[in-house]
Order: sequence, then C-alpha cells, then structure tokens
Amino acid sequence: MDPDAVAKAFVDHYYSTFDANRAGLGNLYQEGSMLTFEGQKIQGSQSIVAKLTSLPFQQCKHNITTVDCQPSGAGGVLVFVSGTLQLAGEQHALKFSQMFHLMPTPQGSFYVLNDIFRLNYA
Amino acid sequence: MEEQIDLVGKAFTDHYYHLFDNDRPALSSLYRPSSMLTFEGQKILGVEDITAKLTSLPFDQCQHVISTTDSQPSTFAGGIVVFVSGSLQLPGEEHHLRFSQMFHLVPIVEGNFFVQNDIFRLNYG
Repeated sequence: MDPDAVAKAFVDHYYSTFDANRAGLGNLYQEGSMLTFEGQKIQGSQSIVAKLTSLPFQQCKHNITTVDCQPSGAGGVLVFVSGTLQLAGEQHALKFSQMFHLMPTPQGSFYVLNDIFRLNYA
Repeated sequence: MEEQIDLVGKAFTDHYYHLFDNDRPALSSLYRPSSMLTFEGQKILGVEDITAKLTSLPFDQCQHVISTTDSQPSTFAGGIVVFVSGSLQLPGEEHHLRFSQMFHLVPIVEGNFFVQNDIFRLNYG
C-alpha cells in the first residue's frame, strides 16, 4: 500500500464527488465515522451525508493547493488538505483546511473514519 | 467520552505549543523513533531528525496563538487525531503567519500520549 497513491486517489474522488453529487459521498463513510465541520460534531454515515447535502449552497468547486499524507499505523492513512472553495455567485473563494483519517475496508478500498473541516479566515 | 477527548486534545496542544515557544529541544519528549513529521511538505522520520528539524528552524523565538482545536478518537487503540489552526508570531515580523497542523496521538501508559503523526502547513493569504 502506497500512502501517496491512496491519498491522491481519495482526494481526487472525494472532492469531485462533493462538487458533482454530494449525496454520493455516503459510501465513503460508515457508522463509526466522525465529522467535525466548523466545530460541529456529527457521527455516522447517514448524519454526515445529511449535513453535507444540507449545506447552504447548491454548487461549489474545490481547488486543492496542498495534499500531505502519512501512514497512521494499522493500515490507516492520514491525509491533510488545503485549498479553496468557490461558491457559485460569490466573488471571493473561501480558503479551507481539512484532514481525513482513512481506514482500509475488507474489500481493499478505504473509508473515512475521521474527517475534520475548517475554513481558514484571513 | 466526547468531552474527554476534547480535554485531552486541548491539554496536549497547550503543552506542545508551550514547549515549542519556550523550550524547543524539549519537544523530543513527545516523539518516538516511529514518529513522522511533514513540515511544509518536507518529510522527516524519527524523534532525532524531527527534533533537529524543529530546533534548526530559522528563528530563535516565536509565539503560537491558537484559534481552533478539534479532536476526535481515531482508532480502537485509543488514539486521538487533533486538528489545530492558529497564527505564529515571529519577533521583529510585523505580520503573523497563519498555520494549520494535525497530530495523531498514540497513548502510552497513564494517560500520556506521544505524537505518531504530525503535519504542519502555513496558510498563505
């Protein structure tokens, strides 16, 4: 398992799914998954998808600036992302940082165990 | 359980940045030979090389001011992931540098943790 390859594939898939069809993110999370979104804590795939699909914008585009990753032990991969988020109709892009802790599934792919998102205010 | 994780995360980051700002060599107590640091994209492995990197950063003094700390339990082995954002003030520099950092903490005995994973990035405006 090459953490860099896993991280790159995951980041590409996650943000393209987020930007095209947020409901499709559900299969990246499981019951034990945790999301902290701007300080709000949410647990479990259903509640997480409900949160993400209810964010107050229809369309968005993530532009990724940096991706750092490290193996976390027990087959996990930590991914640390920074970038910008462009909302339709908004003049200025929002800057954000996000970390994921990916864990392997028996089928040979990865799911998100931990997800923490923060906007970076100037 | 949730609140306990937040307390542990906050206590760790308070301690970490206090050491960083006041006694950088003492950060070696928080890392192990298996620890990994990625500092602005540069990958460093092991407590010795990590301590060497942090103590050789091109400033003598600094102050971290923490804006946000988010913590979550990470694995069945009692680990914790901590996500920090804040600013870094260097003496003589007019503008603060903004940064984000994540830690993956692994427990040792009696409620102590070491840093297994550490990733640091400046947030450019």
